[in-house]
Amino acid sequence: MPLYGVPQGIVTPPRPAPAGDDADAEHGIGGRTPGTVILVFVFLLAFVLYYFVNWKLLSFVWRIG
Amino acid sequence: MNGSFRTCPTTGLKVHAQADGLIKANAVVATVTLLIGGIAAVLVMLTRWQAVHLLSAEWFYRMLTIHGMNMLIFFILFFEMAVLYFASAVLLNSRVAAPRLAWGSFGLMVLGTLIVEWTMFAGKADVLFTSYVPLKATPWYYLGVILFAVGALLVVCIFFATLVVARREKTYTGSVPLVTFGAATAAIIAVITLGHGAAIYIPTFLWSLGLMNVDAQVYRLVWWGLGHSSQQINVAAMVSVWYLLGAFTVGAVVLNEKISRAAFVLYVLFISMASAHHLLVDPGMGPTWKVWNTSYAMYLAVLASMIHGFTVPAGVELGQRVRGLTKGLFEWLRKAPWGDPGFSSLIFSVIIFGFVGGITGVTFGTEQINIIAHNTLRIPGHFHATVVAGTALAFMGVTYYVIPLIFRKQIAFWPLAKIQPYLFAVGMLIFSVAMTFAGTFGAPRRHWDMTFSQAPFDVQFSPAVDLVIGVMAVGGLIAAVGGAIYIVVTVWSVFLGRPMPAGSEA
Repeated sequence: MPLYGVPQGIVTPPRPAPAGDDADAEHGIGGRTPGTVILVFVFLLAFVLYYFVNWKLLSFVWRIG
Repeated sequence: MNGSFRTCPTTGLKVHAQADGLIKANAVVATVTLLIGGIAAVLVMLTRWQAVHLLSAEWFYRMLTIHGMNMLIFFILFFEMAVLYFASAVLLNSRVAAPRLAWGSFGLMVLGTLIVEWTMFAGKADVLFTSYVPLKATPWYYLGVILFAVGALLVVCIFFATLVVARREKTYTGSVPLVTFGAATAAIIAVITLGHGAAIYIPTFLWSLGLMNVDAQVYRLVWWGLGHSSQQINVAAMVSVWYLLGAFTVGAVVLNEKISRAAFVLYVLFISMASAHHLLVDPGMGPTWKVWNTSYAMYLAVLASMIHGFTVPAGVELGQRVRGLTKGLFEWLRKAPWGDPGFSSLIFSVIIFGFVGGITGVTFGTEQINIIAHNTLRIPGHFHATVVAGTALAFMGVTYYVIPLIFRKQIAFWPLAKIQPYLFAVGMLIFSVAMTFAGTFGAPRRHWDMTFSQAPFDVQFSPAVDLVIGVMAVGGLIAAVGGAIYIVVTVWSVFLGRPMPAGSEA
């Protein structure tokens, strides 16, 4: 039951994780945490783009030849 | 003076009375310094916004010094001292080793803080956070920093002593919890950091008294062993808080304990090398030294952050999935407790730290790219995403758990507390990204007047800079509202808040 001014993690603490988790179960290409794997690829894409843009910016001020 | 224990009905942890008091005292002082630094932040921002240009040059640099010292040193380190007591005595059900010394150390830190605040507000130390030699402050300023650092170092020693006491007295079984392990790495980095601090602030103190000379390049080299490493204490402490918040809010599962611990060890081994990226445009250092430190050693520390950046949200996802939220890719995220300020702080902290702070930081750490980013607004754009939206937001999130569990008070103005992380995160995101954009156009950092009025030369920036700086100011003001709500909510809760209902008090 919600209690005013107290975070839900204290009022209703997360119930203990089941003893046997799904470590041995079959999983898709994203493993046990497919959502996080998608987020990782979004991060990677952002990283590559930002890094590339910075080298491009550098090429404008640091011309070779 | 050992005090007694109480048992927390929520967590089952035995909380030592001295740990309780020390956590409270450090958290309260941290909040006071956050308020001072926050007011200075707004004044600095309203000056950087050329349309307002609020302060005179003298007061701009004074406020910038006050902002830097309060936010990057006092707020963060007082809060981290509270984290160290929590991660050692509370999580290990132990007493605090040497409680008298702990209170003495706290007093020393407060004394150092008061001296530094006085010198800064009195205009005797307009030297900015870095206090680069030959800029000279009054000797009292350096003395204040040294006293603060000695106090902090003693607390770190007490942390390690408490770990030994807990092990000897068998207050826990098996390995120390991951959060305590992470805090221990933060403490080890703190020793490295404070060692650098002593190595540079003591000679600088003597230099300010006219007793010796300090070479400007040597100062920069050693000082950044303190200046950047102190931010690495933040990273290790913040990641520990991420794991803690994940466990508190959704019962996150640690994906692989060994990998998470190994990542913390990578911080200890390599993160101090990251300090070298501050010297990438310094002529005194050779390219081999620069490239080794920033392009090899630093990447191993970055790898550690990437590991944590995966394992923390993955732990949240797995925790949600094993409790039945298995539909699709993101049911675990959609049905997460977004109304819990602890949870929203955790997620925003991870995202902004990684996507904005992490990506920009690693890119600027590349020697060639650094040349177009150095001394522009891109640099504060980066570290506001890491230290403020990352570390400070994570610390804000854990405060919403510390108040009921340690202070045993309900959170006042609960609806405001629930939206506070959203306001702060969105504001800081706009602020950091806009700063980064402005820096891309060449807008300088630490500059009172970007129009260079009355200068003998003419410097023109793209007209887009004015717009972007305006956007930055709007973002900063939104974040300032979020920060103000945090201070009002926490101060009111602690001093005037309602106690936890009987039977549920922690």
